[in-house]
Amino acid sequence: MSRKIERLINLTIALLATKRYLTKGEIFRSVDGYDGSAETMERMFERDKDDLRNLGVIIEVGSFDPVFQDEAGYRIKPEGYSLNLGEISGVEIALLSLAAEAWRGAALDDAAHSALTKLHSMGVESDLDSLPAISPRLNPTHSDFQVIALAISKREVISFSYLSAVMVAQMRTIEPYAIATRNSHWYLAGRDLEKREMRTFRLDRIDGEISISHGGQGFEIPEGFDVFGSLESDETVNIATLDVRKGKAHLLRIIADSCVDKGEWEQITVRYFDYQQFVDQILWHGADVLVIEPTSLRNQVIAGLEEIVRLHA
Amino acid sequence: MHNSIQTPLSRTARLLDLVPYVASHQGIEIEALAQNFNVTQAQMISDLTTLWMCGLPGYTHLELMDLSFDSGFVTIYNAQTLSNPRSLNSEETIALLLGLDLVIQSLPAEREDLRERARALVEKLSSRISIKAKLTAIPSAAGSVRALIENALTKDSWVEITYHSSYSDTVSTRLIHPLELRTEGGYEYLWALCHSARNLRVFRIDRIQKLVPSAPPEAPLYAVEKEAEKTAYAIRVHSRPRAAMERFSLNRDSLSHENEILSFSSEWVQRSIMASSGSVEVLEPSGLRNEIAMSAQAILDRYKAH
Repeated sequence: MSRKIERLINLTIALLATKRYLTKGEIFRSVDGYDGSAETMERMFERDKDDLRNLGVIIEVGSFDPVFQDEAGYRIKPEGYSLNLGEISGVEIALLSLAAEAWRGAALDDAAHSALTKLHSMGVESDLDSLPAISPRLNPTHSDFQVIALAISKREVISFSYLSAVMVAQMRTIEPYAIATRNSHWYLAGRDLEKREMRTFRLDRIDGEISISHGGQGFEIPEGFDVFGSLESDETVNIATLDVRKGKAHLLRIIADSCVDKGEWEQITVRYFDYQQFVDQILWHGADVLVIEPTSLRNQVIAGLEEIVRLHA
Repeated sequence: MHNSIQTPLSRTARLLDLVPYVASHQGIEIEALAQNFNVTQAQMISDLTTLWMCGLPGYTHLELMDLSFDSGFVTIYNAQTLSNPRSLNSEETIALLLGLDLVIQSLPAEREDLRERARALVEKLSSRISIKAKLTAIPSAAGSVRALIENALTKDSWVEITYHSSYSDTVSTRLIHPLELRTEGGYEYLWALCHSARNLRVFRIDRIQKLVPSAPPEAPLYAVEKEAEKTAYAIRVHSRPRAAMERFSLNRDSLSHENEILSFSSEWVQRSIMASSGSVEVLEPSGLRNEIAMSAQAILDRYKAH
């Protein structure tokens, strides 16, 4: 195993150091670790190239003379190989460190840690003292989180089994656009290939493994796509008018757009996006909230109350 | 915990990242290096030994990296070609982007300067992997509050919190004994014994501004402690099973049967049943059943009167 690793490192060094393309012949003659028959070396080299590419190393293929198309040559351009974040300060390194630390114990812990190692190898001292003392943490989520992250960056289609509201597991196949987290839940948004529509999924409702369908056609992610923005857009917004008891229902008050004093009660207007969720939220507040408008919402709340009475009478 | 899975590729990646790390931390102890790369010291020595054999074609002492670690301290010279850290891969970049968004939203309001710099970093990183979507991470609680609560719950210990009450619009400091975390309407709530109020209290955890571990109060709250025992409730799910499972933390396999739930607060159970809009029924205790039927009827009567 060591010999293989040595050879990969030596190959990387040689291809990085060269100012011109190196031919296979030159590589076999000069880079330590290539021996055996021509065929063996050829096979070794093909595998090594794949391995380095899998590590994210970009190997350029070119020739000395484009007109005569002689033997292909290889090199690794230093500007593609190394981390280049432009001018970077100690405060910025500290901010990035906090960002990486947020993953401690969560899905991308390893990736965040290796990113941190690279950032700390830039020779810029992290200026953590200039930041306020905060230590935000990301919540753990589905064990296949990395698969999603990778699929988004490589534009690959993923499939998984998803628990519907009636607890039936359904296979979903989507083009993943983005992941986001809020209120300690993780969300995945993308285009559902079967339903031909944008859909958002809560990761804790994914049942079992997530698989990448390789060789799928690449897709475009809309510029500036925003998970919560797509859930809560002007097209999905509804407005309700509610009477709320004074000093109560502060969960609804925080999201209220307006508030009018009516003595014992106050009348607020609230924007909502998910119908059933909003009905549930109103009923949570019991006798402290009364729906005034719209009628459909009011009827839905009344229907819920009637069902509660029927079940418990 | 050390990385137990070793593939030639993961080792190669580690060696490539080791060179710039040592180059920027000359004289680092082998132990510290092993710790940072999450491997045993023996593995680290084996890694360094492998690196010691690598260099530019020619492989004389002029071309090999000048690596020394006999003394237990590691230095590296003549490693120019590898001495710059490798570029970030897409997984690392996504991790940093989500982390940065969380940091931006966790920074105090008066530090707009830092937010601005963090946003500029987001810009820089996302252009590098052509992630066009916005990766959003909205924190569930300030700083490390949530982790500290979990710690207190596991250890059954007391904490002192600084809490902003939206009801009275005041900030107070209280000594509390955390009992359980519950989610409602997308917010997380902490049920706790409050020494200051000498009673059970509910706190929304994103309103806890500060939390520090504390010794238990000198005069314990025996009376309240006794009251604050979990009560068992029997419920049955009639429809919307996923919502019920998530709200009441039910076992997926027993959804169609009668379920027993335990809670410190009958108020929470009552509100949760109401918020299930008739999809979940309380079977026991019968007192709560009646209470729910009556309060739902009272609200219905008000709707009819309007």
